[in-house]
Amino acid sequence: MTSPALHVRVTTRRTVGYRKQLQLLFTTILIAGACIVTQTASANTPTIRLFPTTVVEDLRQTGNVARDMETGLQEVIGRLDQQQELYIESKCDGAENDAGCTRLARQIGATYLEMLTIMEERLPDMEHTVNNTRISLEKGLRNELGRKMTPWTLQETLIGTNSSATAAQAVPTLRGRSGMRLSERFKQYYQLVATSGAKGDQSLAVLASDIYLDMEETSVLIERTRQEIARATLMEQLNQSFGIITPEMIEVVGGVKSILFGDEGSQPLVAGPPPGSIEQAYRSPLEQ
Amino acid sequence: MKKSPIRQTTLLAAVICLAAVLASCASTQPTCASPQTRNLDAAIQATQASLSGGCQAEFDRYYDDLLTIAEGDPKPENKRAFSEFLVWSTDEGLLSTRQAEDYYNRYFNVKFMSLKGDYNNCSHTCPNKQKVLFDMERELSEKERGLLNVSLDNEGYYRADRLYQEVELVLEATCTACAAAR
Repeated sequence: MTSPALHVRVTTRRTVGYRKQLQLLFTTILIAGACIVTQTASANTPTIRLFPTTVVEDLRQTGNVARDMETGLQEVIGRLDQQQELYIESKCDGAENDAGCTRLARQIGATYLEMLTIMEERLPDMEHTVNNTRISLEKGLRNELGRKMTPWTLQETLIGTNSSATAAQAVPTLRGRSGMRLSERFKQYYQLVATSGAKGDQSLAVLASDIYLDMEETSVLIERTRQEIARATLMEQLNQSFGIITPEMIEVVGGVKSILFGDEGSQPLVAGPPPGSIEQAYRSPLEQ
Repeated sequence: MKKSPIRQTTLLAAVICLAAVLASCASTQPTCASPQTRNLDAAIQATQASLSGGCQAEFDRYYDDLLTIAEGDPKPENKRAFSEFLVWSTDEGLLSTRQAEDYYNRYFNVKFMSLKGDYNNCSHTCPNKQKVLFDMERELSEKERGLLNVSLDNEGYYRADRLYQEVELVLEATCTACAAAR
């Protein structure tokens, strides 16, 4: 039989032994964990941060605003189409003095104004979200690709570690999406960005550049559209006030237009591209 | 016996002429003719002989000749032949390692040597964007020759072509972003 003092000593020694084992186990786990973290970090570095969560959120919001605008306009544009059809079917072209045709023309004008108003209301939101996306991307591109990279590192980022055919398939579609709905375009952008985690940095750099340049163009386009809406709204309001404009009134309206919007003829022409500067698709001499 | 002065003069003139002929023979420039064979390996051997025989100043022409010969018999192994020839040129002191890398990569690698640079894109590449793109376009035609026409590496060439388009797009966006900060 063992004495209580010996029992306590044995128990204490055992406890110390367990503690040592536990300490060893924890240390091993910690070292292993540190190794895994280091390996993961080294495998992922350098990571370029071109799409912070704010950009992803901005893209989603822009898509939603665009969809709302389209939904709002759809009904009005449908109505406008019907009225125009009726106008043509009633052979109102050239029969402006007819009371029915005048009424129809005013109705068309009113619907047109309604459409402009909806656009006028929605475009500032659109402009705001587009600009937010553009500014966030601009900052990312400037810092990550412009200041942190040399042309050689940029090339290495684009080419990626595996420049195989599988990487080629992962490349996002490049610019030139005419004919696509605005909301659909932003939806596609959002999906591309949201799922971009699985792709390499090379896709992200191209994608960010593509979206940024598109945002630049969209931003300019929205600004021009807003100016155009203001002009068209005033024109239509004049039409509604005076009814059908007589030749005598056209001169007055022309004067008002030239005062408010300047003379259209005096607008400077935009130079076209120099001959031969249009990018040609490559045709190999071996191609038959 | 005393020699006549005329005879002595004639002898002296003959010696001078002989010396002149020998001297002219010694300073004759090597012909540096292009390799005549259509076989790449034989052409490389002939080129190596010429380059070792004092024609090193004609290196560019010889390299071009070899590419033309290789275009006549395109195959993936040609890459290795050119690589070995360039390594030999470095070993012989005809080219520096950087020059050899440049000669090889311009023709046989997807990456563009025109994008070599130690400064960041905002400060250096963007102000020279047009020149950089022009140099890349020229290099792409060299890659067409090396990758496509000499090595039959279609995939490599089309990757280079796409890389050129991607760089053009990314640089346009990056440089616009850099300019917006000013």
